[in-house]
Amino acid sequence: MSKMQKTLKRLAGQKVLFLMILPCMIYTFIFSYYPLSGWIMAFQNYKPAKGYSGSTFVGLDQFKFLFQDIEFWRSVRNTLAMSLMNLVFSFVFAIVFALLLNEIKSLGLKRITQTVSYLPHFLSWIIVCSLVSNMLSTNDGMVNNFLMAIGLIDKPVLWLGEQKYFWWVTTFSNVWKETGWNSIIYIAAISGIDQALYEAAELDGASRFQKMWHVTLPGIRSTIVVLLIMNLGWVLNASFEVPYILGSGLLQDVSQTIDIFVLKYGMSIGNYSLATAAGIFKSVISLLLVFGTNAVANKLGENSLM
Amino acid sequence: MKLKKLCAILLASSMVLSLAACGGSGSEPKQDTAAEDTKEPEDANTDTADAAEEESGEDTAGDEAGADASGETGSSEENYYGGLVPLDDADDPITYTFFVRDPGVVPADNNPVIQKITELTGVTIKFEFLVGDLDQKLGVMIAGGDYPDVIFAGDAGSKLRDAGAFIPLEEEIPKYPNLNAMYGNVLKYLTQADGHVYDMEIYGTFQNDVTEVAPPFECALGFYIQKAVLEEAGYPEVKTVDDYFKIIEDYMANHPEIDGVKTTGFEILADGWRNWALLNPVQNLLGAGNDGAVFVNQDTLETSFFQISDDAHAFYQKLNEEYQKGVIEAETFTQNYDQYISKITTGAVLGFYDQNWNFQSAQDLLKADGKFERTYVAVPITNPGVKDGYLDKSNGIPSGTNGIGITVNCENPDRLLRFFDWLCQREVQDYLQWGEEGTDWVYSADGGKELTPERRAIVRDTARKRDETGLTLWNYCPKWQGIYTSDGMPCGTGESPDEYLASQSDYDKSFLEGYGIKYPAEMFSDPIVRAAYYPVWALTLEDGSPAAVANTKITDVTMKFYPRLILAKDEAEYESIWNDFLKEFNTIDLESYQTEIDSQIAQKMAK
Repeated sequence: MSKMQKTLKRLAGQKVLFLMILPCMIYTFIFSYYPLSGWIMAFQNYKPAKGYSGSTFVGLDQFKFLFQDIEFWRSVRNTLAMSLMNLVFSFVFAIVFALLLNEIKSLGLKRITQTVSYLPHFLSWIIVCSLVSNMLSTNDGMVNNFLMAIGLIDKPVLWLGEQKYFWWVTTFSNVWKETGWNSIIYIAAISGIDQALYEAAELDGASRFQKMWHVTLPGIRSTIVVLLIMNLGWVLNASFEVPYILGSGLLQDVSQTIDIFVLKYGMSIGNYSLATAAGIFKSVISLLLVFGTNAVANKLGENSLM
Repeated sequence: MKLKKLCAILLASSMVLSLAACGGSGSEPKQDTAAEDTKEPEDANTDTADAAEEESGEDTAGDEAGADASGETGSSEENYYGGLVPLDDADDPITYTFFVRDPGVVPADNNPVIQKITELTGVTIKFEFLVGDLDQKLGVMIAGGDYPDVIFAGDAGSKLRDAGAFIPLEEEIPKYPNLNAMYGNVLKYLTQADGHVYDMEIYGTFQNDVTEVAPPFECALGFYIQKAVLEEAGYPEVKTVDDYFKIIEDYMANHPEIDGVKTTGFEILADGWRNWALLNPVQNLLGAGNDGAVFVNQDTLETSFFQISDDAHAFYQKLNEEYQKGVIEAETFTQNYDQYISKITTGAVLGFYDQNWNFQSAQDLLKADGKFERTYVAVPITNPGVKDGYLDKSNGIPSGTNGIGITVNCENPDRLLRFFDWLCQREVQDYLQWGEEGTDWVYSADGGKELTPERRAIVRDTARKRDETGLTLWNYCPKWQGIYTSDGMPCGTGESPDEYLASQSDYDKSFLEGYGIKYPAEMFSDPIVRAAYYPVWALTLEDGSPAAVANTKITDVTMKFYPRLILAKDEAEYESIWNDFLKEFNTIDLESYQTEIDSQIAQKMAK
């Protein structure tokens, strides 16, 4: 009894804090939890004209359709492959870029480099993909011209027509566009590292490279882990635009992602139930990924999110 | 310690993010209001301008009516239509929003014709053209119930009908004399399974007492070839795929470059939904028109999948040969529509399979540059001994899939229908399509109608056509098409033989002389009056049904394999890809698709 009273008292003492958090909770409920009620569609043969109550329940038929379709599993493979390649490369590039930028002594040059490097982030994918497809063109494209000029190839390569190149094309389009932007957080984290550590390292005779390795990187390790966990949750959502715009019939086996599959077989032919089922599948996988990484991070003695 | 730092970093980054987010959302409404602020005085300006114009506009309208009455001794029909007479409630402005499934640009606000129509009717149509993917756009519309007043969704309209987006029109149409004259006889074909009519078809001449079908001057789809190629070959008859590629190869050998650009023999566009160049040709080779995903035997109405036929095998093998000869470039499969159009615009592409509206913009640019010999003409390519079936003569039956529908969100459908009815007066139709007599069009020597050179220049310029004529409005509203039976006059410029001949460049005239024909369509067999079911692509499949899934799969699998077949290294690889293709094609649930199509064909033929 007294324990409960104690709790109540403590809660009463924090009522201002509760009031402050209330809007956020309402927001989260309305925009994140309430829409989940739409998941019911996945177990129905949903027709917009009939609504939730009028549509017939079909159990797990939609999931069965998904899981029996080889195209769907191909899409899952493509999504995972492209997303993970993306994740790894954009991580490595952003971190290395932040480290290198940190070593620039001239403040003006540093600022200019940083600004220029994150500008592509603000371009739409449509524009970036046009640039990419022009650069990779067999018809006077920059990449082919360059490779031919230095003698690596003797006739133009159809970069956008061969399956083996496609994942790399999407990965490096992403790297080109997002490296600068992604590095901002690391640069912020690096600037938070205690300068005394660098001085101490210098006194110990550490070279520039050793300082990067032993001071800067450990200093931003926790940031890296947190961002990794957060980004993993997005892995399955992060592959629509580039494969959709640059993909073609020739590349379908490697370019069709879950989102594109859902667009074709769900939205385009009015099968909203199927689209929802695929959405649930994605959510489940994402959750698993996040919890899995979190657990691994815990095990490794890093700060985890939860 | 570590934790604290982490928290600080997280907090900082989330603050940066939320700041950015707030900045975004905060500035947006501001911009909006700013835009509105600047807009309002502008509106006020145009209002006064409108008012000023209204007076002069009415004057000219009056004059015209006078001229009509005196010039044509006013037959009773003329009086019935009454010229450009304003509607009673023209001083009560109303705006309707109109979504169009085509990508496009909205006509300028100061378009004089549309302004005048608004002045005479009080109705403003606010067009919204498609940006991005149609199915997605409609899906979002349906999910939110957020419909404009009118929608032209083409064959995607079935989705909207299923969602209950449209109001039934079968009891409305008979109330309006012009609309009734247009649709009254064909209502049964527009009636959906639930017994209601939801859309007014806007393309084609339907069975009625006012108009009849006009003969085609040009073929609207098929294997196109540059006129210069035919000229150099001495205007030969080109009938088979072998003939076609033979003269292209010859021309390529003589002209490795055209105007400094490397010559391309044959282009195949395969970009998203613009996939017919890859998927359709074989049915044409078999003598069909633009039918759909199955070949329909016109005598027995039996359906079959031409995609996996021996004819398809032979056709794509021929394309594979052409690829190996360098006539087809591999890049054709990776380019998008814009790249395709800009490539054609260079004038260095000798041939392609397409539908004329799809490359119209490129052809218009070539004409504007005066490169008439670089424009294209379709030739009747079929398998040897097969009669070509490219040309349609409308059977007067609406397809049921090219209609505009009025949505449940439209607040005043009666006035909108009255507006459409008003537009369908002959005087208004002539005004929208032809403009004003004397300045925009004149009677030709043999009594037909042709445009003045000034007007022709406007119509040829996409932007001026949009901003200075009423053709956008005309295009997406109910309209008369064909030939008026009362006096044999063409409804529009496209149906006027005099205008067709007058608009030909000197080059085109000599080209036609070279072939000894009057119109390019004469190269083809006579137009075919299609069976009532035609075409298969317009049959609607129930959303999410196995047939719809199979249909998507058929496209998917063919889109995947045909390019590979064409790019095969040698015959052995071709055969092995072909076998893979057959295997994958046959895993599709073809039966449910075919059964559905068969039953729909039977239903339509029974009507």
